[in-house]
Amino acid sequence: MTRGFLTRRAALSAGAAGLGALAAGFLPGRAQAQTAVTLQLSWLHSVQFAGSYIARQNGWWQDLGLDVSLAPGGPNAPVEPPVVSGTALVGISAADYTAAAVAQGAPFRIIAVAMQKNPFVIASLPGNPVNAPADLPGKRLGMAIANTPVLSALCQLNGVDIDTIEIVPTQYSAAPLLAGEVDCLLCWETDLPVAMAMQGVESQTMLMADHGYALHSQTYIATEESLATRRGDLVALMAGEVRGWETYKADTDAAAALTVEMFPDAGLDLETQRLQAQRQVPLMFSDLTDRQGFGWWTDETVAENTETLALLGHDVTPDLWDRSILEEVHGG
Amino acid sequence: MSAPASTATSAPAGGRRTALGIFFVILGWELAARALAGAYLLAGPTDVLTYLAANAGLMWRALKVTLTEAAAGFVIGNLAAIALAALALILPRAERAISGLALLVFCLPIVATGPILRVFFGPGLGPQITLAALAVYYTTLIPLLVGLRAAPATWFDLVRSYGRGPMAMLVHVRAMAALPYLFAGLQIAAPAAVLGAMVGEFTGAERGMGVLAIRAMRALDVEATWALASVATAVSILVYAAVRRIARMVLRDPPPLILAPPRHSAGRPRNGWHAALANAAAVGGLAVILWWGAFEAAGVSPFFGKRPGDVLAFLFTDPHAAMHRVTLGAALAETALYAVPGYLAGLALGAGLAAILVLRPALAGIAMPVAIALRSVPIVTTAPLVVLLLGRGAAGTVTLVAIMVFFPTFVACLHGMRQAPGQVLDVFDSYAAGPLDRLIHVQLPAMLPAFFAAARMAVPAAVLAVTVVEWLATGAGIGSLMALSASVSDYGMLWSALVLLALLSCAGYAAVAAAERRVLSVYASEQLA
Repeated sequence: MTRGFLTRRAALSAGAAGLGALAAGFLPGRAQAQTAVTLQLSWLHSVQFAGSYIARQNGWWQDLGLDVSLAPGGPNAPVEPPVVSGTALVGISAADYTAAAVAQGAPFRIIAVAMQKNPFVIASLPGNPVNAPADLPGKRLGMAIANTPVLSALCQLNGVDIDTIEIVPTQYSAAPLLAGEVDCLLCWETDLPVAMAMQGVESQTMLMADHGYALHSQTYIATEESLATRRGDLVALMAGEVRGWETYKADTDAAAALTVEMFPDAGLDLETQRLQAQRQVPLMFSDLTDRQGFGWWTDETVAENTETLALLGHDVTPDLWDRSILEEVHGG
Repeated sequence: MSAPASTATSAPAGGRRTALGIFFVILGWELAARALAGAYLLAGPTDVLTYLAANAGLMWRALKVTLTEAAAGFVIGNLAAIALAALALILPRAERAISGLALLVFCLPIVATGPILRVFFGPGLGPQITLAALAVYYTTLIPLLVGLRAAPATWFDLVRSYGRGPMAMLVHVRAMAALPYLFAGLQIAAPAAVLGAMVGEFTGAERGMGVLAIRAMRALDVEATWALASVATAVSILVYAAVRRIARMVLRDPPPLILAPPRHSAGRPRNGWHAALANAAAVGGLAVILWWGAFEAAGVSPFFGKRPGDVLAFLFTDPHAAMHRVTLGAALAETALYAVPGYLAGLALGAGLAAILVLRPALAGIAMPVAIALRSVPIVTTAPLVVLLLGRGAAGTVTLVAIMVFFPTFVACLHGMRQAPGQVLDVFDSYAAGPLDRLIHVQLPAMLPAFFAAARMAVPAAVLAVTVVEWLATGAGIGSLMALSASVSDYGMLWSALVLLALLSCAGYAAVAAAERRVLSVYASEQLA
């Protein structure tokens, strides 16, 4: 009995070993373990991050050996802590938030720029429009008090006296504009104006980036330590992002449909997502990205950014930007 | 004859009145929505029903997620409260330290704790459940500590005369006496758990009612916003009613007569002060050690996880320390301007409405649904709309704070008055004393322990309300400063605000407790044992 049992066990283990050897022999790619990494998004799931969804859906990260979790953000979910603590390999921030975090001792570098043009706009209604900064004096502007430095920078860039604007502290909603409580709003091109359009209200938007407010937004940040020790993962993550966003640009409607399909519990409306997807294209893609690829920047755009950052009270050097990962992605 | 006021109306009549009350609430809501149509502020019941019919699947899935989080938090939080109360009873010397630490943790503002919990737990339901548990444990612990003492001394004598010890007293006397208080706490906890879970979803959740609420507010989707608020309110009311039904099935005995002689502590007031200060220092010291120890042990990054020493440096030794103190002081002063009147108004409304309902039980049918609904509406969805409706000045914020304070006070006071001993009410009846006499001489004194317990608990509730309103709606005061500090990585400011706010909440709590001791030493000295 005992002998028979032992024989069976020996046979079983020999068989298992044989199967393992077979698997290793025939599937070399799969034997390589997937590295789990997290990309910390800056807001709730929406088409704002559709390039990442495309990359995941198509298995482009998997092919590069990465198992990427896309962690949503929210009103009480700052991006910097998970990146500093290593919970997330890369986070999506903005140049001014990154500069502030670096000033507080966080060892961040910007490794790619999704929004070449800053999405901040002054939104108004056609009956009482704000088409240029010169239209602002005398207007009641609804905005979060926290954004006062943004307005102040715009005013300095355009020779407008900020004291001539009546700032009304509002929550982030288009309701005060529609209720006539304010004449214009400081908001993003891609959210409140889209919400108004979906309610059948056409609004005017003055893009602050067209009036000197040069500030990279939706920037990818990583720590210096990750840049030194996890270059392979960073290159793979950004390669997927670049490919995803190039695909996004080719068909924004498909990107919107994928977003709604991937997150059925997020309460996303397809039409809203489509409009938002179209409106963020001119912010994310330019002649520069057409020439160099998604996420790129030049010494000139960085110089413009450091100037705007100085107006916002952040003294940074061009070292804040590190293009080495993108160079590897686009070069390789 | 000795029936509590609540059962004075027969059940069918009460049910009809409740239905009538609910009908009028809904009618008023619809009319208000029609009057404000086009302002993107208020959606009426018909709009809400239309939205729910069209989005039933989405809403149901979100509700399941949020309810799961809230239920888990409710169970964990209340079990923690029961465990802490039992510990405090077994180790009477530790009671003040336990309740002090529990208070300190309860006073931590969610704007600051949310992101820390998210980093700690990573993706998933961790922060949502934790915030729901944190939102409920304290409002159960405090009534429970009161209830565990709400037994006549003769009962303890009886247990002692049988030669039994503290354990028998806990099981046979204290636990039974505490049950009504436990249920009062559980009722208050139900809406709080839902609110905690929704705020937890703000820290980066995939799904749930909080996620949908953020989206709806941004998208100007007024129907969705009010549909979410309505569903959350309805669920909170159902849980509240379920707890009340269980309470009625369990609690069949009329409350006992507690005759405790007034305690004369004339010679020892200074000792009392010294003891209180020593206790506060001990709790503070323990909190600092736990804070530092936990952060060091878990290796929390000093970039966002500031230690006690960092906060001291930020406030006192940093080159910009004076500026930091000015910023914090100005924000706190702005907050106090709204929080204090809202707190007092909420207390007055709660106690006042409870007294009115005892005098005129028939009104309960209309008042109760309004009261429960007002409190159950999740403040995170409606705060921005209420502020838009009432204006960004004092009215909106004060109203929201008052609503948050009002309901727990009201529930506790009503409950306290019903604890008025039947024997005493019988004496009043036999002298043909009117309801007002009964109220003033029996029911109000009987209410006092519960009122003060509620007033103490309402201090952190008011702070929670005012910081949430400032954060989500008005962009003023310490709530906004904390949110702003987190977004620009100014974690020194965030932690300093957190510490100051928690300390000030505790100070407010201590001030109410001091007033309480003076009053209760006359009316309910058994509570001061």
